[in-house]
Amino acid sequence: MVTPDSKSRRLVFWVLVLFIALAVFPWLGIPVYFVSLLFTVFLYVILATSWNIIGGFAGYLSFGHVAFFGIGAYTTAMMINGFDLSPLLTIVSSIPAGVVSALIAVIVGYPCLKLRGPYFAVITLCFAFVVDLGVKNLDILGGPEGLWLKSMDLPIDIIRAIFFEVMMLIMIFSIALGIWTSNSKFGAGLRAIKEDEEVAQTIAINAPKLKIEAFALSAFFPGMAGGVYAYYLTYIHTDIVFDMMISILIVLMALFGGGGTWLGPVIGAVVLTLINEGLSTFVRAEFARIVYGCLFIGVIIFMPNGIIEFFKRAKGVPPG
Amino acid sequence: MLKGTNITKCFGGLTALSEVNFEVSQGEIVGLIGPNGSGKTTLFNVISGLHKNDSGEITFEGQRITGLPPHKIARLGIGRTFQIVRPLMDLDLIQNVAIAVLYGREEINTPRLARDRAEEILNFTGLASKADHLPGELALEDRKRLEVARALACRPEIILLDEVFSGLNRKEIEGAIHLTFRIRDEYGVTVFMIEHVMKAIMGTCSRVMALHNGVKIADGDPEDVANNPEVIKAYLGAAYAER
Ligand SMILES: Nc1ncnc2c1ncn2[C@@H]1O[C@H](COP(=O)(O)OP(=O)(O)O)[C@@H](O)[C@H]1O
Ligand SMILES: [Mg+2]
Repeated sequence: MVTPDSKSRRLVFWVLVLFIALAVFPWLGIPVYFVSLLFTVFLYVILATSWNIIGGFAGYLSFGHVAFFGIGAYTTAMMINGFDLSPLLTIVSSIPAGVVSALIAVIVGYPCLKLRGPYFAVITLCFAFVVDLGVKNLDILGGPEGLWLKSMDLPIDIIRAIFFEVMMLIMIFSIALGIWTSNSKFGAGLRAIKEDEEVAQTIAINAPKLKIEAFALSAFFPGMAGGVYAYYLTYIHTDIVFDMMISILIVLMALFGGGGTWLGPVIGAVVLTLINEGLSTFVRAEFARIVYGCLFIGVIIFMPNGIIEFFKRAKGVPPG
Repeated sequence: MLKGTNITKCFGGLTALSEVNFEVSQGEIVGLIGPNGSGKTTLFNVISGLHKNDSGEITFEGQRITGLPPHKIARLGIGRTFQIVRPLMDLDLIQNVAIAVLYGREEINTPRLARDRAEEILNFTGLASKADHLPGELALEDRKRLEVARALACRPEIILLDEVFSGLNRKEIEGAIHLTFRIRDEYGVTVFMIEHVMKAIMGTCSRVMALHNGVKIADGDPEDVANNPEVIKAYLGAAYAER
């Protein structure tokens, strides 16, 4: 007989196996392409899971989340080039990148989170454009030329493997944040805000404060991921790290899997990254974008609660 | 306990409340009546901080609350329900109430304990058997009870009930009157209630105020207010004229 306890123990076991398998993956001499692909999957899981805190739980659809990713990338690049960091410090220095992103989220969130619905979506979109333009026009940040990062003094595949592991670690933390949020007082407050912000306030929820905290948290991990991504590429450019397509992908992934649940954005990110990769590699990139556009429309119309909920309902399992 | 002086609130050119004074003392059940559009809900919105009044001052237990954000006012111990019920639609009843427990004045911070407390409150309001339903599955009577349960979950000192009785049938009104007394007697919560149903007012309130076009026209014993000519003219006039 399977008791819930032994069932969850078995689940933990398989999750551990999965993570260990993922961790050894880059050391097995598998072609770089696959390592890179997994690295990208990790990246999008982080982005979608973090976005979910403000967008999925609190219902504030940020369409400018790529800005936090890019800010993290540039923060790290500047630190690397400004200070002579040892390899270990190089890895740790993605933490300040996350902190800078979170701080900027607090500053930007303070006025922006007073807006709701489409107004918030539009203002965050504008925020990302402004940051992109600003960085493009600042010579100290490389301007339109982009920035090269000093590379670590190690063989390239070792460097790749190290940052693969770091990205995976950040992903695990961001998923943990998602799980914690969905079971905590914090997450409950965000859910109330999403449903009805005025009612939330009448039950003593400090909505303005909670929203800013959520926005800052949702910017922190993308900032860190941006830092690691910068190292990984050793070259960054505004067209890469402030690509508006990433902003849209993040929202699509989270909503596709199911916003407001921790698992939804994880599944959404994995599935859509693989589809995107498959389409761009075997068909062509433009085609991938068309498919994405259609997916976006389809998701919003037919599965407003994401695929997990959609399939549960199709199988007759009650929602919840 | 709750006191308002010269409360005025305008919406553009419309004066929804004009120089309204009121006071509710601890342990009272006070009624607020008046025809539709007379400013009753607006008064509750001003008290709970959802609307800012243009002039006047509200104090709660001696402390000035005018201008405080709604969550602080709730935190001080003023709970409310909404006339047009506003449940958190995607969350089941127990979650609706548990969130209020977590953020209210219970000092319960773990979701599991909050659920236990929420269950007790659902039980108190007669919703225990529907704890895992979504609000959309409830009949109007139960939705109104859910409003009450959520407000109580914050453990308020005073609860503002906005037309909890309207739209209910005779038997349901009996139940709601009973619940109102139990809110005060078992939870020790002072009640300030907007009501149209005269039977409910007469059956529960120790004192009644009447508003008409934003002006307070009567305040006192329910019988006296109900027989006050100005009130009859403003509010009951239409009802009596029908007979
Ligand atoms: N948010 C608002 N904006 C503009 N006018 C309002 C608003 N809320 C209420 N009013 C107006 O104020 C008056 C009083 O409304 P209300 O307080 O809801 O009355 P009651 O609850 O006594 O039926 C009405 O004329 C109403 O149209
Ligand atoms: Mg009203």
